[in-house]
Amino acid sequence: MSCSIELKNVSQSFESYVSGSKSSNSNSSENNEATITLFESLDLSIKQGQSYAITGPSGAGKSSLLMLLSGLEKPTTGQGHFIEGNHSSTLDNLRSEIGFIFQQFHLLPELTALHNIALPLKLRGDKQAIKKAETWLEKVGLSNRAHHKPSQLSGGEQQRVAIARALVFSPKFIFADEPTGNLDQHNANEIADILFECCKENNAGLIIVTHSSVLASKAKNIYSLANGELTKVTSNDVDNEQQVEEGQVSSC
Amino acid sequence: MLINHLQFAWHYFKQEYRQPHQKLLRWVQAILMIFIITLTLSSNTIQHYLHNNLNNLLGADAVLTQKNKLTSKQLTSLENFSENVVNTLQINTTLTFNGKWQSTKLKAVGNDYPLQGELLTSLSLQSPAIATYAGPATGNVWVDSRLLASLGLSIGDSIELSEQEFIVSRVLIHEPDRLMEGHNVSMRAIVNMSDMKKLAFPLDLIQHSYLISASKSQVKQLIDWQEKQLPAAKVHHKSGAHPLALFWQRTENFLGLASIILFFMAAIAIEQIAQVHLKKEQYFSAICMSLGASKATGLQLSLFKWFINILVLIPVVAILSSAFHWVVVSWLSETFVELTWQLDVWLTAKTIATSVLLFAVFHSPVWLTLYQTSVSKLFHQNQKSISLTLVKLCALVVLVLVAVKYSDNGLLTLMLVSSILITIMLIAFISWTVLTLGEKCTQQFSGLVPFTLFMMKQRLLSKSTQILGIGLSTFLLLFTLMFLKDLGNTMASYQRTHDGNLMVSQASEIEMDAIKEWSNKYDVNLRQSKPYFYAKVVKINNLTLNEFTTKPSDSLATLSKSIRLHWTQALPNTNSLVQGKWWEKDSENWQQISLEEEVMTDLGLDLGDELTFIIHQQSYNFTITASHVYKPGSGSIIFWVQMPQTAIEHINAPQYNMASLELNDDQWPLLGELWKKHPTIRMVSLQELTKQFDSILAMITKVISGFALMIILLAIIVILSSINALESKEKKKNSVIMSFGFLKSTCLQLNIIEWLITALIIATGAIAGTYLTGMLIYQSQFSLIYQPDFLILIITLTIILSTVTLLGIYASRHSLKSSVKELMVDV
Repeated sequence: MSCSIELKNVSQSFESYVSGSKSSNSNSSENNEATITLFESLDLSIKQGQSYAITGPSGAGKSSLLMLLSGLEKPTTGQGHFIEGNHSSTLDNLRSEIGFIFQQFHLLPELTALHNIALPLKLRGDKQAIKKAETWLEKVGLSNRAHHKPSQLSGGEQQRVAIARALVFSPKFIFADEPTGNLDQHNANEIADILFECCKENNAGLIIVTHSSVLASKAKNIYSLANGELTKVTSNDVDNEQQVEEGQVSSC
Repeated sequence: MLINHLQFAWHYFKQEYRQPHQKLLRWVQAILMIFIITLTLSSNTIQHYLHNNLNNLLGADAVLTQKNKLTSKQLTSLENFSENVVNTLQINTTLTFNGKWQSTKLKAVGNDYPLQGELLTSLSLQSPAIATYAGPATGNVWVDSRLLASLGLSIGDSIELSEQEFIVSRVLIHEPDRLMEGHNVSMRAIVNMSDMKKLAFPLDLIQHSYLISASKSQVKQLIDWQEKQLPAAKVHHKSGAHPLALFWQRTENFLGLASIILFFMAAIAIEQIAQVHLKKEQYFSAICMSLGASKATGLQLSLFKWFINILVLIPVVAILSSAFHWVVVSWLSETFVELTWQLDVWLTAKTIATSVLLFAVFHSPVWLTLYQTSVSKLFHQNQKSISLTLVKLCALVVLVLVAVKYSDNGLLTLMLVSSILITIMLIAFISWTVLTLGEKCTQQFSGLVPFTLFMMKQRLLSKSTQILGIGLSTFLLLFTLMFLKDLGNTMASYQRTHDGNLMVSQASEIEMDAIKEWSNKYDVNLRQSKPYFYAKVVKINNLTLNEFTTKPSDSLATLSKSIRLHWTQALPNTNSLVQGKWWEKDSENWQQISLEEEVMTDLGLDLGDELTFIIHQQSYNFTITASHVYKPGSGSIIFWVQMPQTAIEHINAPQYNMASLELNDDQWPLLGELWKKHPTIRMVSLQELTKQFDSILAMITKVISGFALMIILLAIIVILSSINALESKEKKKNSVIMSFGFLKSTCLQLNIIEWLITALIIATGAIAGTYLTGMLIYQSQFSLIYQPDFLILIITLTIILSTVTLLGIYASRHSLKSSVKELMVDV
């Protein structure tokens, strides 16, 4: 049964006590309190099995949007739904169906690569946890690093372990926050390929927040979040951006 | 530049002021400083008091005391060292009046008394005290107000003593040589010297004191003369030690040992807090260096910050410790009359400086790490260096050195330190076993409990430090409380287990015969009687006691007075042999002795060592051939020193007896008859004994309760700091778990399970450690039989489990506030 996440007419804002000039998106009050609105009246639909990339400048609210989609935060206004077939429920029901991948990997330093991957399964009471973790290690090409701790792995290897850990319990959606942000271009490409391939193989929806147009271009659906507005971007736009990005890299 | 750094340090200090690790550090340092300063100020007040007291209450420039009267030749020699000598006699006796009796210290003085100072008396209880310039007239007795009240006497009453009539003519208010009585609580009476002949007390029971007026050089000559000619005598002089000084020094040493335990706990807490400090300061220092600052800058800022933290504490600590000092002085003034509170700024400052130095040693690993830090540490954190371990070891050595310095009772210190070490090893072993076996056994299962065991096993090292810190605190608290409870129970049950309800501590042979006759006549149950000589140790291996050891201990304090030397053919039922060989029956070698084990340990004696005793003015040498300990269950009369029965043929001295009797309620009034005829029999009823125990217990209860409170406070801080040390790791773990699709309630459940397992390990370790310590210390040090009550143990286990778990969960609430969002970069 195919699932999807839908955000309807959502907006997100928060109170800030930092004094400063009045920006286009903020309403200052007398006591230096400001309401900062990240985005307003936003609609978005995420389908299981498909890939999505959200790009945009820092501070635009990409990660906040990710938190809303995953149901970990509530929107200021508007609603989010988790739809399974014909049945619609709140995003609270999505909790057990999602996995995360972070820029800083966030592996537990005391555990070996194998045990880091087995972690979510062990917590779920899966008796085959280690066996499944071994299979996933193989899938991400790290069979020979099973008993190494994170400090003994390179950044790329750590992110592979993190990908395996996020997918090992077969979540319906994967949220990735700048998954290649800490890696060199070569490793970034490899990790991106593994990530997309694994999600596809597992029929998991993949939602990536990234600054990298190279990574974003690998997604089927690309969105840009800037000035409080979410706009769908065509792959041509991204290709252009990518060329600019590569030009900048080569001119450095 | 320096001022700039100071301003920077002040700025960062203010920013970090409310952070948990800074708060915890301030608490630990403040509690410990308040305790140490209060202790030092109180000790100093008492030392000062004792010194002044010695000058005012000796009643002479020097006083020579011994059991026997000086020969005329000795008296002539003594008079060579002084301008004036006044002789007084003293004996412990029992006064009877209208069927009541009261043990009393009776003094006989001549018309030349007092030598120096004021003798104060009054004509009635209500009359003002008047200075008196001679002792009572013949046939008169002056009694102190307590004795007057105790026997229901009035001025003018006639009392009978050794079948002689005495008229109570005055109330005795103050004797200038009162200090010589060692501030004991005996009731007091004075008669004229010439009456002593009529009373015909056994001569060997009379203590002779010679009050001497002499210059400092004459006092010095006197001491030299006494050491050579009268080794069994004792000289007190104005520049010497107060009779209570030794007692107080031992009390101080005990408190010192107690404060060592607190220092150990503080060290654990600071070590845990330092882990957080280390990371923060290392990171900050590396950032500074990456911005072009020198290594010294980071180090200086850290030092300044730490120092500002201490400076801020000092006023609070000084005010609070002065207040506590006032409370302690008010409490102690019940024992040390006229003790007054005084502010001592210099001593307070010195003690604060010493404490700060010790804290600096505990905190030094942080500074060493900063010294070794580099920008590369920004990329590779958590690198542990060997020198850091060395610094921590140094801190441990400092602690052990301070412990050794404070040690009074060698055996007790060794046992306490061994118990702590054994408990540490035990807890480490239990942690390792429970976590390893738990993880192995649950490998095939999944779920929250196996997962928690698995995570704890993976974090064995950091978890063990936490468990050890809390475990050790729990052990110390448990042992202190258990000891208090057991001591109270033992006191309470003394009446039931004691052998007889009337103890005779000294009865001459004639008096013993009278006791036997009296007990036969009234069908009183005479349980036991054991003979002894009075003997005084003057030399050990040909060295005087002062030359042999300078360490004060219970054993030394007892040996410097006359002890009871018992003889026996075979090993008594009340003893068991610890080392050496007990003598054969009718052994020809009579110059051998067995010493109690604690005395051997305290004085560092070995088998084969030679002790010189003065028994009835004769010197005898004995070799230690055995060592014994008390074996409960066969009676309560025990002796520290025992010799073969064949020795009595070679020693010419008066014999005395210890005995125990069991009297029923109707037989108590019959004692008056015995005492009237034999007032020098020294007996003490169990009621009196328990009354004394009760007052001692009340004091011990106050001291131990205060100490337990300190331990509880520090234990809480240890728990909080150990949680604080792991907080960032815990927070990350919870966030990661939530990123797998779990709720906060799952993290809470995991937290509860983890704290339950931690508490279980801690409780098992602490209870086992307490049990072992009980087995080790109770019997040998306090003659208590250690019988653990399993119901109490289960209740204790439950209390520890729930307290540690609840406290752990409460303190972990911050790490439960984590969220997946915190793991993201662009929040």
